[in-house]
Amino acid sequence: MPEENVDYSSEEFANAKREMDSLVYESLKGREMKPNALFARMADLAKAMPLSKDIVKWSRSNSVWPLQFGLACCAIELMDFGSARIDAERKGFLLFRSTPRQCDVMVIAGWVTKSMVPEIKRLYEQMLSPKYVIAFGECATCGGPWWESYNIVKGIDEVLPVDVYVAGCPPRPENLFGALMKLQKKIGGVVEG
Amino acid sequence: MPVTRINIGPVHPSTHGVIRLEVDLDGDTIVDVEPHIGFLHRGVEKLVETRMYMQCPPYMEKLDYVAPMAFNEAYVSAVEAAMGIEVKERAQYLRTMLLELQRIASHLFGIGTLCNDLGQMFTVFMWAFKDRDIVLDLLQEAAGSRMFYVNMRLGGLNQDIGPEFHGHAMKVMDYMERRIGEYEDYIEKNPIFMERMRGVGVLSAEQAKNLGVTGPVLRASGVNFDARKNNPYYIYSKLNFNPKVLTSGDNFARYKVKMLEMRESIRIVRSVLESLPGGDALGMPVKLRSPNPANRIATSSRELPRGEVFMYLVADPQKPYRLSIRSPNFINLAALRHMSKGARMADLFAIMGSLDLVMGGVDR
Repeated sequence: MPEENVDYSSEEFANAKREMDSLVYESLKGREMKPNALFARMADLAKAMPLSKDIVKWSRSNSVWPLQFGLACCAIELMDFGSARIDAERKGFLLFRSTPRQCDVMVIAGWVTKSMVPEIKRLYEQMLSPKYVIAFGECATCGGPWWESYNIVKGIDEVLPVDVYVAGCPPRPENLFGALMKLQKKIGGVVEG
Repeated sequence: MPVTRINIGPVHPSTHGVIRLEVDLDGDTIVDVEPHIGFLHRGVEKLVETRMYMQCPPYMEKLDYVAPMAFNEAYVSAVEAAMGIEVKERAQYLRTMLLELQRIASHLFGIGTLCNDLGQMFTVFMWAFKDRDIVLDLLQEAAGSRMFYVNMRLGGLNQDIGPEFHGHAMKVMDYMERRIGEYEDYIEKNPIFMERMRGVGVLSAEQAKNLGVTGPVLRASGVNFDARKNNPYYIYSKLNFNPKVLTSGDNFARYKVKMLEMRESIRIVRSVLESLPGGDALGMPVKLRSPNPANRIATSSRELPRGEVFMYLVADPQKPYRLSIRSPNFINLAALRHMSKGARMADLFAIMGSLDLVMGGVDR
């Protein structure tokens, strides 16, 4: 962590720290601010505090919680990814959450039909920022073998911003592990080695 | 009490895919369930009309992505029937063995997700996926891929098994036999599991026959029908095996039939490996130009892990003119409404889990 960049004596840092403390206290005490607004303000404050920003990044990249959401074939490999052999939990990819409000990453595993697009959009909008999308497999990347079908969206990136693409039909669970590590690097705060 | 309508899905952790259920409730009791399908529809039957015969298997495998090889085999055998191609003897044995291995992997998946749906039994899910991986490794050794094999060729397979396969397979079968006993011990001694499975979601034999359900769902209702026995293909007529039939027709029977079938599959794999004839097992290489079909109309009926698939192929010289697929998943879904009437809301997913549906085969 680049501690030498932090000017602990600056006015800005002191103010941010003071306000952060009071916000934490307030969130414990009562409901004067709505949680979303509170977190948004906290995130703003964290920008003024370089050290805590790194800590936030580090904690974010090491606890990427996925949404329990599978579409088709690749969802089987996604389930396998969470099971005993690969053991995704050792990289913080733990706890498939059933509600989008507790999730950081959405793995699009399977082909996306036109009838699923509004549902996927809705799920994505329900997730709290910062949120990430992994396009897992050929169908989610570009439409895959269903390229010529009348009911298929040719890649989820027509609908959502995608962070990591994974090729394969289906990719092996190990490939998802690689994608996860790439995503962690993208989030930042990963300690090498 | 007024009827409450609850909407479940299309994205729900326990629906095994994307399906929307409209549930009418009277208090906590289900009055009616209406499934809405089509969230995975991509028009397979139309797409294959624009493909050469041997370009179709990858599409067929994605119809049932828990047991892909079985669905692919049904399609390839329909093409073989149209072309008038005999399957080589060694390939017949190998196909039988691979299909049974696929059945074990598929049933393990079904049991794992069922126990996951019941909550608090994540252990079984972890066990089942670990053991499924071991069976998939075996399939990978024999067919060359982990999930989508595309290993069926006209008249045979894409590759023969290696010299070490026999030993590996026997080892895995011994292991699986021991593990299935452990599963039964662990699952059936759990009073919560038994309470939620026994007597819930009953489908009578009469209803089952009228709805046309097949596979473990039908056999759990006491109807002795198995395409492997009633309409034998490959070497099933030579094998000594019995379809497993239970009579109670509830969730537990559907679970138990799968367990018994896995044991039977292990026996079949062993006996096939012991009596494996020598010779050549390779099929025709994939060429873009397929041989001209001898018959205009060809059919094939196969017992998949989830029920009977029926392929109806109208053949043109280069590509299928029409391929109609009777998918067991779609037909079995129809039973959901009849099974869950009168059950509790919480039991709906136990019933869905015991049906073991794959939505890729429902929507097509």
